[in-house]
Order: sequence, then C-alpha cells, then structure tokens
Amino acid sequence: MATERAGTWLPEAGKLELGSCCGPRMLSPERLALTDYEYLAQRHVLTYMEDAVCQLLENKEDISQYGIARFFTEYFNSVCQGTHVLFREFSFIQATPHNRASFLRAFWRCFRTVGKNGDLLTMKEYHCLLQLLCPDFPLELTQKAARIVLMDDAMDCLMSFSDFLFAFQIQFYYSEFLESVAAIYQDLLSGKNPNTVIVPTSSSGQHRQRPALGEASMLEGVEASLFYQCLENLCDRHKYSCPPPALVKEVLSNVQRLTFYGFLVALSKHHGINQALGALPDKGDLMHDPAMDEELERLLAQVPGLVNSVTASSEASCLPSRTPPRVGSPWRPLHHARKVDAESDGSTEETDESET
Amino acid sequence: MIPGKYRSVSGRATNNVNCGLHLVIQTSSLPEKNKVEFKLHKETPSFPGRLLQHDLERNYSSRQGDHINLVSSSMPSFPILQRSSEEKILYSDRLTLERQKLTVCPIIDGEEHLRLLNFQHNFITRIQNISNLQRLIFLDLYDNQIEEISGLSTLRSLRVLLLGKNRIKKISNLENLKSLDVLDLHGNQISKIENVSHLCDLRVLNLARNLLSHVDNLNGLDSLTELNLRHNQITFVRDVDNLPCLQRLFLSFNNISTFESVCCLADSTSLSDITFDGNPIAQESWYKHTILQNMMQLRQLDMKRITEEERRMASVIAKKEEEKKRESQKQSLLKEKKRLTINNVARKWDLQQHRVTSIAANQDRKDSDSPSQDPGQVDGSTISAFPEETGSLDSALGNALQGLSVTDTHLVEVDGDTLSLYGSGALESLDRNWSVQTAGMVTTVSFTFIEFDEIVQVLPKLKIKFPNSLHLKFKETNLVMLQQFNALAQLRRIDQLTIDPQGNPVVSFTLWKYYVLFRLSHFSMQKINGTEVTQNDMIMAERLFGILAHVASSELPQYRLISILGDARKKQFRYLLETKGKKPGIVSEENNDSKRLVGENTNRATLNYTTRDFYNEKLEEIKEKKKFCKMYIEDLVKEATEINMKNEALQKLWPQMFIELVRDAVIEIRNKSSYMKLCLQQITDQK
Repeated sequence: MATERAGTWLPEAGKLELGSCCGPRMLSPERLALTDYEYLAQRHVLTYMEDAVCQLLENKEDISQYGIARFFTEYFNSVCQGTHVLFREFSFIQATPHNRASFLRAFWRCFRTVGKNGDLLTMKEYHCLLQLLCPDFPLELTQKAARIVLMDDAMDCLMSFSDFLFAFQIQFYYSEFLESVAAIYQDLLSGKNPNTVIVPTSSSGQHRQRPALGEASMLEGVEASLFYQCLENLCDRHKYSCPPPALVKEVLSNVQRLTFYGFLVALSKHHGINQALGALPDKGDLMHDPAMDEELERLLAQVPGLVNSVTASSEASCLPSRTPPRVGSPWRPLHHARKVDAESDGSTEETDESET
Repeated sequence: MIPGKYRSVSGRATNNVNCGLHLVIQTSSLPEKNKVEFKLHKETPSFPGRLLQHDLERNYSSRQGDHINLVSSSMPSFPILQRSSEEKILYSDRLTLERQKLTVCPIIDGEEHLRLLNFQHNFITRIQNISNLQRLIFLDLYDNQIEEISGLSTLRSLRVLLLGKNRIKKISNLENLKSLDVLDLHGNQISKIENVSHLCDLRVLNLARNLLSHVDNLNGLDSLTELNLRHNQITFVRDVDNLPCLQRLFLSFNNISTFESVCCLADSTSLSDITFDGNPIAQESWYKHTILQNMMQLRQLDMKRITEEERRMASVIAKKEEEKKRESQKQSLLKEKKRLTINNVARKWDLQQHRVTSIAANQDRKDSDSPSQDPGQVDGSTISAFPEETGSLDSALGNALQGLSVTDTHLVEVDGDTLSLYGSGALESLDRNWSVQTAGMVTTVSFTFIEFDEIVQVLPKLKIKFPNSLHLKFKETNLVMLQQFNALAQLRRIDQLTIDPQGNPVVSFTLWKYYVLFRLSHFSMQKINGTEVTQNDMIMAERLFGILAHVASSELPQYRLISILGDARKKQFRYLLETKGKKPGIVSEENNDSKRLVGENTNRATLNYTTRDFYNEKLEEIKEKKKFCKMYIEDLVKEATEINMKNEALQKLWPQMFIELVRDAVIEIRNKSSYMKLCLQQITDQK
C-alpha cells in the first residue's frame, strides 16, 4: 500500500530538500562554497533531523517499544510521501517548501469530495477544513487566499473549491515572496524605485538602471514590464521559494498594466506555475482521483445501517446549501463547465470567475 | 312566604317557557281573595287563553269582548269605550281589551273604579287616556308597539305593569309608580338599567331579551326578589350585592366569561337561585366548583338543586386550586429568579465575548436582552424543588426533582429529564453528588453561556455522572470550528444534538451537520437540531469526509498513529486517574468501554480535538523540545562535519605521509652493513 501511494505522487520528488528556486545541484561550485552545515540547513535536512528527534522525544515511550531504527525509517518515509504534515502544528507545516506542497496535496486529497459535491463555501468554512488538518492554522492566510478569489470586495461570499484551492496554493506556498511583491507593488504605485528599498537582507549591489515611471500613477495598477524587472531582481535575491521567473515573465508579458490582485489571480490560474509547484493536479483533473474514489466506495459500503446499495440511494440526497438547491444528484460534476475556462488560463484578465 | 311553593312553581314554569313570569300579588284591596295568583306566560302568544289563567278571568274573558262597544266619540281619533251597565256590575273592577286591533288607547269613560286593565295583543303605540283610572292596580300592555313609557304618572296605585314585547328603548317616567310590585319589560330594546332606584317595593323585574350589555344601577331596589336578565349581552354584573332581598337571578344566555365579572354575586347573602347556562363561563371546567365555592348561600344552580356532595366536591377542588395557585406563584417567583440569573449570566457572557473576540453575531442578542437587571437581586440562596410545569402534584417525578441553585454567576437546573447549565460556573455542579435516581433520569443536558472548550474538559465527568444523557444542547457556547465536534466523540452515547445558531457560528456552515454525522457516526445519531437523520445524510457525510478519515488512519506513520490515539486515551483517563482511583471497578469498565469505542472507529479516532489552552500548552512544550533538539542536532552535525573535515584532511595528507614513511624506511636500509650492525647493536643492548 505504502509503496503504491509513494508511486502515485512523486512527480516533483527531486524537489525534496532542494529549494526549488536555488537551482544548483550537487557538486556545483555554489555547493562547494557553502560549509557542510550551511548546506544541510539550506536544503532543510536539519529541519527534518531536528523534527525527527523531536518526535522521538515526544513519543519516546511508545517508540522505544518498537525500535528507534524503525521509527527513523518511518519518519523519513513519511517525509518522502508527504504524509508527515498531517495534523501537525503550523510552524512545522510551513517550515519547508516540501512541507507546504505536502500540506496542499493533503488538503486537496482530503477535501476533494467537498469540491466534487459542488458546494460553494465561505472563507470561514474553508478555514475550518484547513483546521481539521492543522489545528492552529492562522486565519490570516485563509483570508488572504480568499481575497485573491473575491477581489477584496465581499469577504463572506461563497467560493468554489477549485478557485479557493488554487488561490490558496499561491498564497500559502509563496507567502513570503508575495509579501515582498506587495511591498514592491506599493513602492511602484507610490513612484519609488523599489529595488533600493525592499528586501533589507539584500546586500548585492547589482541594481538595474532606474526605470522611468512617468505616467504610471495615472492608471490603475503598475506597468507590467517594470513590475517584471523588479520581480526578476527579487527572485534572484530571494531566499524563500519563488515561482520560476520564466513563468512570471509569461504571466506579465501578456498585459500592459496590472494590479497586485490581478497579478495574484493570474498566478493562481496559471497552470504552468501549478505544475512547477507540483502539489496539485491540473485544474481539469482536480476532481479526479480514482484510487481515492475506489477507497471511498469501499467506505460507503460500510456505512452502518445501510440497506440499499449506495448507488440506488445517492440520487435523493442533496446538501442544504445556501445557494438555491441543486437539482439532481449531488455528484453532478462541477468541472465540466470549468474545462472551458481552463483553456483561458494564463491570461491576466481580472474577471472574477468564482461562482459568487 | 312559602319558599317551597316558589320553587315548585318556578321550576315547572321554566321547564315550559323561557321567559315565564310568576308572581303572587298580595292585594289588600281584594278582600274576598287575599291572594290573586297570576301566571303570565308571555312568550306563548299562541295560547292566549293561558295568558291569564285565573279562574275568574277565564270565565269572563271569552264573553267580555262581545259586549264591548267601541263608539266613535266626538273627538276624531279616539274611540270611546262604553260597557253595558250589566257588565259593569259583573266585572266592575276589570276590563279586558285583548286582540281588539286597537291602535290607540280608547277613552274609557265612567270606569274610575277599574283595577285591572288588559290591552294585550293590540297595536297601541302610545299609552294615553288612562290617567283617570287612578285606582288601577294591574295594567297589561303585552305585545303592543309602545315606544316610550309615558302617561302613567297619575296611576299611583299601579302595582303590576306589564310592558313585554314592545319597542321601548329606555326605562323612564316611572317616578310616581312608587308602589310598583311587578315590572315586566322583557322583549324590548333597552340597553341600560336606569330610573328604577325609587322602586323600593318592586319585587319582580323582568328585563329578559333586551340589549343590556352590563348590569348596574340597581341601588334602591330593596324588595327585589327576582331579576330576570336572560338573553341579553351582559358581560359583567355589578351592584347585585346591594339587593338585600334578591333570591332568584337569571343570567342565562349572556356573554359572561369570567367569574371575576360577576364576583359581586358572591357578596349577596340572599341569593339562592341563579342560572348561568348559555354563557361562556358555563363551558369552563372550573365553572361549577368555582360558583359553588364562592356562593355558599346558593341552593339552586342552573335549575338544579345543589347537593351536599357537590358542595363538598367544590370545596375540595377549590382547595386544590388554591394550592395550585400558591404553587404557581412560587414557580413564577422561581422563574423570575431564574430569568434574572440567566440575564446576568448572559451579560457576563457578552462582556467576556467582547473582550475575547468582538463577534458581531452577539450584537443582536445583546439588544434583545434587557441589560437593566440588578444582579444584586439574585443572591446565592438555594431554592429547593423546582417542579415541572404541569401535573407536578400527582406525578412521581415530583419527588425526584432536585434543587435549583441560583447564584449570580451561573445556574443549574434539573427539570424533569433535562439538566440545564448556564454560565461556566455551572460546570462545577458536575462534581456534586447527584442522587442515582436523578442522574439516571437526566437524558438531556443543555449548556448555555459556556465556552465549548470548558465543556470539553468536563465531558468525561458528564459521561460518568449522567450515564443516560442522550441529548446534548448547546447555545451560546462559541462553537466555531468543525474540529470542536471531535471532542464529543469521547462520550458514551448521543442520540440527539442541538446546536443553537445563537452564539455558535459553526451552525452557519453548510457542512457542519455532515461533519457531525461523520465524526460521531459510531453513535448512530437520530436527530440533529430537531431534524431526523436520514440514511442519505449518513451517506453524504461519508462521501464528504470518508476520505479524510481514511487518509488520517492509513497514511499517518505508525508512531504518529500510536501517539495520537494514545493522547486521546490518556486524556480520557486523566480524570479517572485523578478522581476515581478509589473505585477500580468503574475504571476497568471504562477501560473496556473506551477500547471498544476506539476499536469501532479507529480511522476516526485520529480526528480529535484539543482545547485551545491545552493545545497552546502543548505547542509551548514542543517549542522547548524543539529548542533542545535544535541544539542537539547542531552539536551533532558540527561534530560530524568536524570529523568529516579531519577525515578529509587525513585523506589528503595520507598519500604524502605514506611516501615519506616509505622514503625514510628505504633510506634507513640503504647501507645494508651499517644497518645490520645497528640492528645487532640494538639486540645486544636489549640483553
């Protein structure tokens, strides 16, 4: 079973312990520039070692009974499979890019059924679902993700599962990057040259030439090309994960000007970035997980007191949602309508496609 | 007076007719017959012969009409009546003009000695031309069209005035009729009793079938013994206690609905016969015994004789009623206290809520609650026995009802099978020694104004103290997350769950019901918020969250599974270990119980809830451990890298070192003879 599962999801296994933005591989000159300790820290090996020991400490009675070697094997296996983040504290979940991707994947797997059911939920409700997996998940992050979907206006509007999930992915995985981007955006809006201000940690002096800002403040948002220059610069220096600069360029090259949330929406809808991140399937396949569906059918057959076959009784049940009641089976697939707009992914148009 | 006779007469009469009038007039002016008895059945006009069933009258009335000559007089409109002298002699004191189609009163000449005059069944519109008949005692104008009482001022000796079935709207112009004995005004349009207070000799007053809406202005009718008020629209009765001689009062077919509106009847000492049939009051279950209890003087009610038995019953019932009243007063006092306490708790809760989080949802409730209650009014006194709303006296439950303790910060109440807890302080009551009976009876536990996290901590106690609790109610408990429901899984059994939307934002979620069903599926719950759980609900719950459970149970690494389940188990037993160590039997039982429970749904047991405080505590602990681990790993890694570095350095040096060593060796043995010498020297030295 475990091997099977490991097989189903290791498309980006190479990313494990390898900061995705800092491309260099083993034995590259940069690697030799680091001390061993620095290298281990940068690749998050230390994080996992610390956590393993910590877990061992916490459950030492139980673990000592079945073997410390066994424990370490299991621990690092689960890290590989991405199941190590289930029900863990938030500080651990966000500690490494791999953990973040694993959490995103776990969230998708566990609550895909909610999305499949076609329910539109509020930000608070999604937050509750997140808290089922991570009890101290901060509300702030969920709110930010919802803002990407809802464009700041009505925060208690309903969102579809996929809209929320992709927005949440961007917000959660790149949260530090986005913070810096927000600062850059604000600086650009106010006419400052951001490169001199942002990222106080940056010591390298390789500034690009100061771009002319001109009429930027007259229109909404900022000029895309200028914005990209700043972002490229940021990606170079950023020590947290960033989306691949080439894809960012692709996003920004389609438009002349754009707003901050417009940028985030475009990022969240860009399937290339989704692929690069590797935690979630493509939008079209979001509701698709045959292995789990099989498992679910098996579970449904065990529902206590169930007399008829599952399929016979499924057509009558319908969620009492706040939206007008859906007719027909609650399993009405949502994404057939979506596949159409999946084609337009990558465009930076700011239309809010959530079903609010 | 012969009361026996009265009763029999009136009893018989009312059996026949609704508005019978029975009177006995003692006429001093008829010496040959001391008693003249009239029976007037005014409502049976089809039998005119019976209207005056007096032997004498029957004898002449049939003949009399034949001998009356109505002669048109010189005055244009009034006929003049003249009788033959023969008739005058025969019936010197009476004159009957029944059914003569008279439209006016004729002028009656030379009949000044007339004492009885009968105008029944004519069309007279106005009483006139009789003022000269000053000796008249009996005047019958039944069934005419008179609109106003008038022209009677000279008839000072009139004792019986019958004006039934006319069109009179107002009682008036009776000032001079001081000796009136019987006044019949039934079947008119009178809406008010007035201008009768001077009739101190009046014994019978008939106002049946009028338009009276109430009864008052009865002062001065000192001789009135019978008052007929049937078929009006009377809603209340006053002044009856000012009628010292009133014995019979007929109030049938009116609009009396409460005893309070006729309560003056209770003060009348003379009243012995009363009817209320046809009133709303007579439909009430308390009607008979209330009347009997309040009117001890009564002999007859609604034409039925009151027996001793009935009277006794009435007094017993009244006593019960009294008790009930006292009980309900006590109850309402308790209720008031309860209300005040709850208000107080609610206010505290609000304050707390606004301090902790400013949840807008609470705003509504704050407005509806009256915040002006003085908390000082409710003290910490303990009040015993808070019985159920109804039937508490007879029901066996009454005995088992436990005390209601009211303090100003919380409230605990056992009402039947419901245990209600208001305010966080109330949770302490679970530590109390509840009687086995009470505890066994409680099936519903309701929490109000208590943080859910606090409730979670007492759930194990609840499970032990109230093993039969099947229905949990939460209101204003700050349920905000789905995961909080996980905590309920540790209970023994839940059949019903009621989460009030007030103060529980989680209820606004679409998924909460399904999550509850999913997480608490091992209870096979029947109702959630009053709605039956259907099989489809169960399937839907499994559909939505089944994978979560599956992932949680099958994909967690073994060591985590053990530790999570272990945590839950530990938490469960913490309380047991702390307090119940002295009762090993129960502990082991619990043990089995929870093992079975865990076995039932291992895949769900991983989904548990730790309260915020506890969780933060745990996070702190983890932080400490992390700090240590960080240092430990740092040391280890540093050590390892140092070793590695040394190793590497050694690796680098080693080939050179080796060469050097070999070179040294070679140089040493190059001169063979000297080397041999040296070796030999060394050997000899050793010896």
